[in-house]
Amino acid sequence: MQPAPPQRDLALIAGLGALLCLATAGSLFVGRGGDGPTFGLGSPEIAAMIFAEIRLPRTLLALLVGGTLGLCGAALQGLLRNPLAEPGLLGAASGGALGAVVVFYFGLATATSVLLPAGAVLGSMVALAALYGLAGRRGDFLTIVLAGIAINALAAALTSLALNFAPSPYAALEILFWMLGSLADRSLTHVYLALPLMLTGWLLVAVSGRGLDALTLGEDTAKSLGFDPRRTQWLVIGGTALAVGAAVAVTGVVGFVGLVVPHLLRRAVGHHPSRLLLPSFLGGAVLVTLADCAIRLMPPGPELKLGVVTALLGAPFFLHLVMRPQQGGAA
Amino acid sequence: MTLAADAIEVRYDTQLAVQASSFVLAPGELVALVGPNGAGKSTLLRALAGLQEHAGTVAWQGQALARLDRRVRARTIAYLPQNPPVHWPLLARELVDLARLPHRAYGARPSAADADAVTAAMRETDSLGLASRGVGRLSAGERARVLLARALAVQAPVLLVDEPIAMLDPYHQLDVMNVLRAYTKGNGESGPRLVVAVLHDLGLAARFCTRALLMNQGTIVKDGPPQVALGAAAIRDHYRVEPLISDHAGEPVIVPWQRLGSDSRPPERDR
Repeated sequence: MQPAPPQRDLALIAGLGALLCLATAGSLFVGRGGDGPTFGLGSPEIAAMIFAEIRLPRTLLALLVGGTLGLCGAALQGLLRNPLAEPGLLGAASGGALGAVVVFYFGLATATSVLLPAGAVLGSMVALAALYGLAGRRGDFLTIVLAGIAINALAAALTSLALNFAPSPYAALEILFWMLGSLADRSLTHVYLALPLMLTGWLLVAVSGRGLDALTLGEDTAKSLGFDPRRTQWLVIGGTALAVGAAVAVTGVVGFVGLVVPHLLRRAVGHHPSRLLLPSFLGGAVLVTLADCAIRLMPPGPELKLGVVTALLGAPFFLHLVMRPQQGGAA
Repeated sequence: MTLAADAIEVRYDTQLAVQASSFVLAPGELVALVGPNGAGKSTLLRALAGLQEHAGTVAWQGQALARLDRRVRARTIAYLPQNPPVHWPLLARELVDLARLPHRAYGARPSAADADAVTAAMRETDSLGLASRGVGRLSAGERARVLLARALAVQAPVLLVDEPIAMLDPYHQLDVMNVLRAYTKGNGESGPRLVVAVLHDLGLAARFCTRALLMNQGTIVKDGPPQVALGAAAIRDHYRVEPLISDHAGEPVIVPWQRLGSDSRPPERDR
């Protein structure tokens, strides 16, 4: 006799939770200096400072950003009923990047570090508003995807424009580096800034879970089961814009986590959209934390950017998903 | 306890898909919604389910559906579309369990009543043996039975089904018609229930249903007991086929036998 689904999920969630504890411990233990990786917190007099000002913010942000990307990826895939959906799809990420680039461009980033995240959140919001305007209140899923592609293209074009007219090569380089996505040199201020937005976003997405289950049988059946697909849609999209916008604000663009993690975990929860949400959150947090640890373990030299690592791993995975013949049942 | 439709009209852009349909349906009835392709059957069924914008009103127990709380409506009217998509390959049993969503609060685990409803619905549709199979690995007919079980498991007093037997072999066609008939009788607690089924098999419609609504070009042209509504003249006029009508052991047999010549085609209506 198979164990009942909730029990199976409990084992999966416990396993991911244990993995997350290990990854967190590792992330707090591994550092990076000029000569490559360092271990432990160094001499006792500076240990507290290293812990509170370097390791802790970096680890917390890895957890928050990874969890956000995993959760939002799973929710978007459920909403669009497509395993290829990803937070970047909505333009929330590229809009956030554009907002930050505008801040860089006008030389405001040096004034105070809070302006940069503020610009990114604003950019995500504008991207969402544009999506809402393009797709309309009654927009169907296909319209939303196409609007997301258009917004992504526009944001990329405007970002390129900013790079084109960058006041100095140094400014352009700074913009480029920031966009690659990294967790290095962040402080608890970043955590405080991102956390409220992320929490709100997570809540909105979590509330949509049952609606996502109902959408498994199409919009008509979902409606007949008492769910309003429009409501589910805006819960997921609004929540994703908030949480992913906040994530982009503090780390730049970290791609493909939201694509890969739900995909790896979907089978383990029996393809159930709502039961995929929590494991994807944990899985995303584990993946980003481990990836960031791995970056710190690299040999001495310029630090590899997190967004570069996830893209290098994620893009071939995406290609594999696209090329693979469609499996039966997911018609 | 009636489902009353008053002056239902549905337009797609400017085209009238369903017009001026008024009728009252009562629990205990097994209603066949019949008519040629494009007659507006599915559209009317969607309007009854509250899924289709329309003029006029549909009321359950005197209360307009549009005013009912979404969850109350979901527990009152179960709806099975024709060939609904299944986007994720859930286990068959978990797919049927989606029917119980309107019966439980957010985050609640399936209750014993939920489990019983799912098991009973799957047993009735002869799909209990498929319970632990992934939906992706079912044949079209098996999938149709699992989806019907999903609709039954809502245990709603009104069940609206669109071509529930189109994908099935003869054994399961008869089986499903029996299931629908049994559903109208209800069980001890529920009392009689109403079933409206869009059907193309006139013979099964006449044999099993207590009432037939015959539609053509968006209007209900006949409404009555199947022997009356599905008489030879009506079938000739609206389906453009010559039927063989007989009876066997006191039950009607209708076989569409031959197309009628194109001269008997009803004049194209000016849309």
